[in-house]
Amino acid sequence: MGLSAKDSVHLKEALQIAVVKCSERCLYQSAKWAAELLDALPEQPDEKLGASTGPGNYVHPAFYPNPDPEEAALEARELNRYLLAKSFFDCKEFDRCAAVFLPESLLAGLLSAKASDITSPRGKGKAISTSASDQQSLPEISQKSLFLALYAKIISGEKRKDEDSEMIMGPHDLGTVTNKQLLVVSRFLDRWFAERKTDDGEQPTSYGFLEYLYGMVLVKEKNDSVALDYLMQSVHLFPWNWGCWLEITNLISRIEQLNKIAPHMPQNIMSFIFHANTAVNLYQQGQDLAASLSDLLDIFPTSSFLLTCKALLNYHSKDLLTAEQDFSNLLALHPHRLDSLDHYSNILYVLNLRPKLAFLAHLCSSIDKFRPESCVVVGNYYSLLSLHEKAVQYFRRALTLDRTCLSAWTLMGHEYVELKNTHAAIESYRRAVDVNRRDYRAWYGLGQTYEVLEMHAYALWYYKKAAGLRPWDGKMWQAVGSCLQKMGRDRDGIKALKRALLADSYYESTASSFGSGGPIDRTAQMDPEVLLQIANMYDRLDEEDEAKAYMELCVAQEDGGAAGADTAGLGDSVAIHHDSPGGPASDGEGGEKEGGHEGTGVTVATSKARMWLAKFAMRAEDYATANRLATELCQDGVEVEEAKALIREARAMMENLDGLG
Amino acid sequence: MSRILTPARIGFLALIQLYAEGAVPNDAIVPVINFVTSHVFDCDLTTPATTSTYPATATTSTPPAAGTWAKAESAISVILSLREFERVLGPFAAADRLPGRRLWDRFLEKLWAIDTLHALQEFFDRLPSYLAKTREELRRHRAEHGDAPPRYPHPGIQLSRASPFGGFLRNANLEFLRLRFDTAADLWKAFVKYRQPTADYWRRRNPHYGRLSFDSVLVAAEPQWGGDNTDALAVLAYGHMLYDTDYDDASPVSTHDIEALLEFQVEKLHRFGNRVPSELGEQFNALLKQSHAIPSLFHYVSFSDTWRAGDYFTTFDNLHRYFDYTMQYQNKPFHQYALMNMAIVQSDFGCHREAIAMMLATVSTAREARDTTCLNFALNWLFHFGRAHPKLVRELERSSGLSSEKEILAFLRAKARETGMWVLWSSALLGEARLGLSSGESISAALENMVRSSQIIVERNMKPMMGTQLSVATTLWDRLGLAYMSTLACEVFLRCHAKNSIFDDELKATGHLAGLLAAQGKYEQAFATLEQIDKNSLRLAKASECWHLFRGIVKLRRDLHHNNLDAADHLLSQLLQAEPDTLEPEGVFLIDSMHIEALMRRGDFDAAFAKIDRLLAELREDDGDIALRVRLLIHKAHLFDCVGRPEKGFTLSVRAASLAWRARLLPQLWHAIGALANILNALAEFAAAAQLLVAVLPRCLESDDVFVAATLYSLLADAWTGQAGEVDAKTQKQKRTECMTKAHEALDSALAYFATVEDVEKQCEMLAKQATLMRAMGDHVRSEEYAAKYLALKKESMARNE
Repeated sequence: MGLSAKDSVHLKEALQIAVVKCSERCLYQSAKWAAELLDALPEQPDEKLGASTGPGNYVHPAFYPNPDPEEAALEARELNRYLLAKSFFDCKEFDRCAAVFLPESLLAGLLSAKASDITSPRGKGKAISTSASDQQSLPEISQKSLFLALYAKIISGEKRKDEDSEMIMGPHDLGTVTNKQLLVVSRFLDRWFAERKTDDGEQPTSYGFLEYLYGMVLVKEKNDSVALDYLMQSVHLFPWNWGCWLEITNLISRIEQLNKIAPHMPQNIMSFIFHANTAVNLYQQGQDLAASLSDLLDIFPTSSFLLTCKALLNYHSKDLLTAEQDFSNLLALHPHRLDSLDHYSNILYVLNLRPKLAFLAHLCSSIDKFRPESCVVVGNYYSLLSLHEKAVQYFRRALTLDRTCLSAWTLMGHEYVELKNTHAAIESYRRAVDVNRRDYRAWYGLGQTYEVLEMHAYALWYYKKAAGLRPWDGKMWQAVGSCLQKMGRDRDGIKALKRALLADSYYESTASSFGSGGPIDRTAQMDPEVLLQIANMYDRLDEEDEAKAYMELCVAQEDGGAAGADTAGLGDSVAIHHDSPGGPASDGEGGEKEGGHEGTGVTVATSKARMWLAKFAMRAEDYATANRLATELCQDGVEVEEAKALIREARAMMENLDGLG
Repeated sequence: MSRILTPARIGFLALIQLYAEGAVPNDAIVPVINFVTSHVFDCDLTTPATTSTYPATATTSTPPAAGTWAKAESAISVILSLREFERVLGPFAAADRLPGRRLWDRFLEKLWAIDTLHALQEFFDRLPSYLAKTREELRRHRAEHGDAPPRYPHPGIQLSRASPFGGFLRNANLEFLRLRFDTAADLWKAFVKYRQPTADYWRRRNPHYGRLSFDSVLVAAEPQWGGDNTDALAVLAYGHMLYDTDYDDASPVSTHDIEALLEFQVEKLHRFGNRVPSELGEQFNALLKQSHAIPSLFHYVSFSDTWRAGDYFTTFDNLHRYFDYTMQYQNKPFHQYALMNMAIVQSDFGCHREAIAMMLATVSTAREARDTTCLNFALNWLFHFGRAHPKLVRELERSSGLSSEKEILAFLRAKARETGMWVLWSSALLGEARLGLSSGESISAALENMVRSSQIIVERNMKPMMGTQLSVATTLWDRLGLAYMSTLACEVFLRCHAKNSIFDDELKATGHLAGLLAAQGKYEQAFATLEQIDKNSLRLAKASECWHLFRGIVKLRRDLHHNNLDAADHLLSQLLQAEPDTLEPEGVFLIDSMHIEALMRRGDFDAAFAKIDRLLAELREDDGDIALRVRLLIHKAHLFDCVGRPEKGFTLSVRAASLAWRARLLPQLWHAIGALANILNALAEFAAAAQLLVAVLPRCLESDDVFVAATLYSLLADAWTGQAGEVDAKTQKQKRTECMTKAHEALDSALAYFATVEDVEKQCEMLAKQATLMRAMGDHVRSEEYAAKYLALKKESMARNE
């Protein structure tokens, strides 16, 4: 999707304006994001001419005065105070910054007035009309200054909250410390919006930032639906504020929700980026998403943000090698950028690329060792070296630097599991989930921990959560299935495990159709463990035919190619049971794919299956088969004694039969 | 900065691994192990044979002090580069595989195998596999595998866990485990930098090693990232050291190394009173600059250094800085030591009043803190200080009620014995001996004290005390007039004990030796002796001042004898300004007495008389050394002689003689007898004079004071001549001739001795006397000869003095 030259100029101008506006309001991260995107736009050859026409009298639209004359007048009048406040903010003197426009007395008055208001619930209109006389009116200042002041208030509250918090996971660290400034800001904005509305019933012009601020406050107060309304208003008014989009992303916890609100979004490139990013964050995958990302990358070819999204997409679709390469390229393009390198370290961890992970950790700690991302990378490295105490130490450091560092909470949970400290592990996972309810690894970890504690019913609930977040991840379903099996609910267990098999083959197909071209050798065939589990459950349900089929399928996994025909036949039985819209996941395709791969070779699972089959053959008086299977077992050198006994028995029976015959 | 681990230590670990793997050939084992132990455990297995380089061969390449610092130098060079490893390992062939490979190559192979941070981690993780299995592990092994011998991953030697190498390996492993990640990364960076100088060599051997081969991750990723990006990342991760070799950012030095070096320096500073050689100091400072944490001991080192350099203000600054950082030491208050150091420095810089006040404060603080060590030291110091500066202390004694010297010493001795402070005990004994000597008390008592102290020194092996012990011995022998014993004591000290004692003692012994040589007229030898002193040690302000004084004294002595009075005046004007406590009282007195001599030679008798009187009064007031008083008395008698009124010096001479006799100050006694004989001569009691002189002369020759001997001979000649005059020329011609011949012989001897000390005036006087004597004997030819010699000598001396 290329852009015309005109569009490109417009886009560039819009982004430039966004950077200036966000910086004016001290929304540093949003400004940074926009500037990065701006930088990723390729140079247009004719653009320089336009800029060089009139260096003397050319004023960039970003520096035009406010189009609203009233606001413009206000801004002009309080320019001095605004500059003062902005400098204070830049020097991190947040309270002082807020006090430039909103004296403390005013805010205190606001609080007390509101308190009395609540005690006399006599209708809103009345309250305002009566209180207009006794409580001070809101100060007459421009929206920009108002935003800055209130934002400073919130930031100051956040800072204090961090300061008041106890040591990470300490005895008093209950996560209950709140931002005390939220209340006053929320009251203020509530009234501000209310007053504006009562003026003439219609919303007069505003620039989206105050809506964003109110939305943010509401999110923090867990008032999600109202927050979403305000945030949506904000992006309609000013779509270039990435922070606002991020808040919306955080509010959306399911893909259905995303699809529901998608039509109400403004139709522009930001919305497009938002949609792609949110989808990636919701662990979606598929060609549409990949295509839209690559469209975006056509416009912003070097955008680190979009490249990260692409790498994460590959990661979530379990295409780790491609993801690793994506991240590696990203690292080469933006060597000083630390954002999302923690995901990269996760990938390296899974791929067990120790030297590279060590290098990454070294690089991160050289750039800035006091960034949560660096600490997570180092923690991952130590975890890979089985130095779990040190890993925990680094994850804690990451959390001390940023309590909302999601991956650190989860990873710390993993480390505590390794250290056999299940209580701490559960607490860590719980924190992770509280920070972001979409983190399937934390849910899965919780389930695992409870399973270790043999609380299967409890674990099941968490596994189900995880499976709900990643319906196409076989591991989740397998966990659900095993859990069900242990609880004795074999039927449901079989269902879940079959779904796991299906999910694996689904990944297979999506990964190959994504066209990354990387070698894919994971999940190429069905997991013999799962097959054995299913077979065992059927066995317990006394459905011997099914059990036998699955046992044979399991044994067939030893040499994928030879078992192709067998698998295709049994694939149907899987297909019969799959109870969800499989969509593009066609069993035939999966079967073919398997045929092309090497088998797993002899594993414990296949040997067990073979033993079961041999015993089954004995029971079915098929001594020749039993003899063959037992001999194979002997050749594989697994459970030789038992196998030899079987062979003897089978031969004896065969001789008996011969004798009889 | 890590606490113990440094790139150099990684090198040592690799070397130990090589050793354990059996790659070190037999002939290299001892040097390699010695190399490792001397740097890792601070113990040199092949201690060099205890042959002091002093002074048997003056051309020895290494002065004794060079040896003392060599260890620090090599420690620093190991810390800074691999060259030391190459020097040790280069000559040996590796014990295995390819021919022509040196041990150094194997070693480099080990180092270059560590090609990522992760490889470094694995390197340390692998260390325990070189250790022998513990009993517990063996038990478990037996339980699992039966009686099969445990298998080790490496063939070759298994290091016992308790062995030094095993301990080192375990410690290194543990230390690395405890490092924070960024410290480990810093270690890795430092290691890359440390290893980089060998890259060229290694690439020549292994051509496939490329530009980025120090980190295999970079090499692996280069095709994907592209050259520029890879470089950017490499610079980001490794800093600028890759492209700029001079760029110092990572410090390869550990706290442990720094502390070891500092302790080494402090030890040297304390034991030898030396300064750190400037080169070494610069290197060390460069190391320190790179390290993050500067141990407070460093301030102590710089304090000592500036102190020795004589930089008063900086010294105080550093001293305060050190004690500000070290108010608490091993959980004990440290204040009194600060005060004590301050007092010593004050006194060293000549601020005696402040020093005393400070030391008194030390005493009271130490009393409060119940720190007996400090208290005893302070009292000892106060005593010695009082000996050197009686005036200052006298006021104090009156006010503080401190008892007499003897009592203080006895107290100190008892205390020292109680608390087991051997050094103090020995020095108290020696102090008592010296006190006894200077107040002219029993020699045997002094000797007894010396022997007791000597016993303590030998029993407790207190080598540093040898200097004091032998210096008391030299004093004793000097007083007894046994010059060769005194020389012997000096030589023994310089040859055997100098390397264990502080430089001050060495300098004093050398100075004393030079003085003795000068007294024998061996000026050149005296200068040569002084020149042998280590130049680095002379960087001490005090020492160099002292050394210059010694040189000045020898020179002045020669100038006086040469009658080169202008040069002598010039020297005197400098020497007289010397701080009185740079030298011992004896040295100061020497300068004063030479001043008197110069004045007398100039003919300025009034000034000389005034000076003698002043000095005498001072000595009497201070209750000073009896030997000095005797010498002053003799000088005074000599002065009377010079102004032609020798009889006025009679009482003086007799007093001097009796004092010297009582105190067994034999050289002074002979000198006094000479003065007495002179008076007798003047009173025409020639026979008595001759009798006295003949009795005294042989003993005097023992004392090696050639000038006194020559004077005695000339007096003897006078006495004989006088006797010849007394006998009737007609009647007792034979006796007259006999006397004249004896006089002639005495004159000859006197002339010879005066010639040895190169005293021109006296030589001329003797020659003139000879000429006269010859004429009186009627031998005009020889008289003419002597006269001609006289003239030649005069001319020569004029020419020399020009």
